[in-house]
Amino acid sequence: MNPLSELQLDALTEIFNIGAGRAASSLSEIVGDEVKLSVPCVQLYQSTEINADILSLNSSRLGAVKQSFNGPFHADAMLLFTEDRALEIVHDIMNSQVGVEDVAEFEQEAMCELGNIILNACLSSMADMLDVTLNSSLPVYSVGTAEVVLRQIVSESPSLMLVLHIDLNIEKRHLQGYLVFLLSSSSLQKLLAHIDRFIAGI
Amino acid sequence: MNSITAKNGFIPERIADRIWDSIKSGLILVDGEGKIMLWNDWIAQHSGIPAEFALNHFLGSLFPEGLTASFKVALKNVLQYKLPIVLSNALHRSPLPLYPLPVTQHMQERLQQSIVITPIVTGEEKHLCLIQITDATLSINRERVLKSHSERLSQEAITDALTGAYNRRFFGERFTAEFGRAQRQNIPLSLIMLDVDYFKYYNDSYGHPAGDKVLISVARALKSQLNRPTDVVVRYGGEEFAVILPDSGSEGSQIVAERLRAAVSNLNIPHRESKIADRVTASVGIATCQPDTDCNMACFLETADTALYSAKHGGRNCVRHLLTSDCGRPCPPGTP
Repeated sequence: MNPLSELQLDALTEIFNIGAGRAASSLSEIVGDEVKLSVPCVQLYQSTEINADILSLNSSRLGAVKQSFNGPFHADAMLLFTEDRALEIVHDIMNSQVGVEDVAEFEQEAMCELGNIILNACLSSMADMLDVTLNSSLPVYSVGTAEVVLRQIVSESPSLMLVLHIDLNIEKRHLQGYLVFLLSSSSLQKLLAHIDRFIAGI
Repeated sequence: MNSITAKNGFIPERIADRIWDSIKSGLILVDGEGKIMLWNDWIAQHSGIPAEFALNHFLGSLFPEGLTASFKVALKNVLQYKLPIVLSNALHRSPLPLYPLPVTQHMQERLQQSIVITPIVTGEEKHLCLIQITDATLSINRERVLKSHSERLSQEAITDALTGAYNRRFFGERFTAEFGRAQRQNIPLSLIMLDVDYFKYYNDSYGHPAGDKVLISVARALKSQLNRPTDVVVRYGGEEFAVILPDSGSEGSQIVAERLRAAVSNLNIPHRESKIADRVTASVGIATCQPDTDCNMACFLETADTALYSAKHGGRNCVRHLLTSDCGRPCPPGTP
């Protein structure tokens, strides 16, 4: 596997930070308060290397919002976060709206929507910057222990994982999560080809 | 048969229309400019706007109250980026002016909605966008029923089925909590133990159903004497009741205890087998834990028991009080 060059990593980080900015402004509209979202770091792993230690998501239940997308390259995009912290945020948002009751069944749908906002923002930013068209499935939410969720990811994974660290600050709460792209090495090569073209075009 | 099979892989239009209209959720198809191309029966019924009225119009122009900002942004984003969007019920409630059937808009609350907007990729240049609306009301109601059941079950789990007083399980939790609070805030805490006199003889003489009625009356009488919501009556065991009195010292707790004793006596329930009265009476023991005294919960309970024991041996139908520091018996080890 060719590791990503410094330049390629920088370009990816930039693309995803633009996506994060878009997601933050959509989230701000829903929350009615300032939301900060950033992607401080992007890393590439073999899926077999991934475990709860590497992602520092130990000893907690993980929530995962997944969308599969395709276009010139295809991948499963997955937002991972610790469930209890994410639920706190959902509760905060729901409480900040008038007349909202605590309805457990809809928390998951709300999580799906928040994940969808972040994933779509990153995908659309990628589509814009790389000048490609991407199609995506609807988001699916799942939850489980870190071990189970990660094992599932690794078992379906086509070998490579692009891991983005995500920092979300929302109504005085801080949430760290990961945006993971699972992709085959041929899809990665196609993505990198587009990245290189993007870098060359700057 | 032949007439309804797919031709060249396409379902004939008239059948497709019937399918849209049979679907039990709302379907709206709009083109790249936001003009309506499909408006199924469900959406026509719940909006009160027939399809012939809606088709070829802009979605926003159909509703005098307009569309919510988040809905407009979502629609624009789907058309621009061709990525599907979820508008959850939890965060948006009722984005579209849709109502339960029959639709009489002025009288009604909007329908609770869960919305999904997906891009429809056609081979051609133009972008379409499908809006699916599901009625979330049923799920919300179901959730409400489950919630009220679970509240009822939680209440039952801490209630004594016969008397309606709290049960021993609740006592354990509340007493631990109040004991901790008294220690932290340096305030007194009193515990009353009350036992119905010669209850076994009452049961033997009048039968268990009558005995049960006595316990119900006693519990009701005890509750009627307590004014503060923090003072709770617990059925501690067979004919024994406990009352936790937070922030009550020796003096206050003895006044309450005397009231409780009198209330049982004033029920005027005849008891021919009682050796001390002609009616049902109760013996009452109180323990008070003063601030800044060395005490643990086990010791506290033991003191209340000792006080009750002394009321039993002091002629019954009376009140005895002890400070935890005066308890003659050796304290059992327990949590501090």
